[in-house]
Amino acid sequence: MEANNLINLINSGFLNFLKIGALILFGIYIVFAFVILRQAKIMTDTLQLGLEFFIRFFALLHFILAIFLFVFAFVTL
Amino acid sequence: MPDIYKAEKDKKEKDHAKEDSQYLHVAKHKNHPKSRNVLSSFCYYPRKADFSAKDPEEVVILLLRKHPITNLKWILISIVMLLAPIVLNYVPIFKIFPIPANYQEVFIIGWYVLTLAYIFENFLSWFFNVNIVTDERIFDVDFVNLIYREITDANTEQIQDVTVKVGSVIRTIFNYGDVQIQTAGEIPQIEFHAVPQPDRVARIIRELRIEEEKEKLEGKIR
Repeated sequence: MEANNLINLINSGFLNFLKIGALILFGIYIVFAFVILRQAKIMTDTLQLGLEFFIRFFALLHFILAIFLFVFAFVTL
Repeated sequence: MPDIYKAEKDKKEKDHAKEDSQYLHVAKHKNHPKSRNVLSSFCYYPRKADFSAKDPEEVVILLLRKHPITNLKWILISIVMLLAPIVLNYVPIFKIFPIPANYQEVFIIGWYVLTLAYIFENFLSWFFNVNIVTDERIFDVDFVNLIYREITDANTEQIQDVTVKVGSVIRTIFNYGDVQIQTAGEIPQIEFHAVPQPDRVARIIRELRIEEEKEKLEGKIR
């Protein structure tokens, strides 16, 4: 019984550690996604070769997905 | 009445005319139908090619990217990344180290978002690292990483030498290679890496040099 309690304690500690680590990672990822968004804007401003709308849309979608991931992880974990 | 005999002189004139027209095919093609494929790596007179350093009167003749076969490596890696969560389902590692289902869901979504970023970054890198040849200048546009870009240009009249390098079996089969351009400017060399039809690229650049020299002799200044 005591052994089971100990295992449960270790497990919950590990999972808490995993949750905090995941949230920190996803938070950093939001910054990375924002940099990609800026990069896409700079690239499309420097060169107009067609597909500007799709590239900017895709970059924005990726940024929104990164924010969604963070919120989802915060709520679910 | 049909000609029974044509003097050789006419034939020679025809050959010269044909040679001239071959040399000046870039000028002749100014009304060439614009290339419409935005994903092409060899665009001759592209329909849309504007950039910040371009003069309003400048005409873009060639827009070059690396040959599509150079993208094979990251495409294969992307396919592996997309299939990885499905394959790992059958690997018993999660039975040995059980992780709750909600954690697995979050990590799988995170993995796919990361894969999306990887694919997008590689596509942007291929799409925007271009070499442009206009009627006045040549440009090399390099987006090295997320925050650093380099744009090199040289006037056509400063070009001294054009060298084509095609090595390896793959490059010979798919007809792509490097075009090295020696210039008299501050940047002594501009290189077009892994561009399709490098011989044609070199020929177009040489023709533009001939046109520039002709314009110089005729006294045309822009």
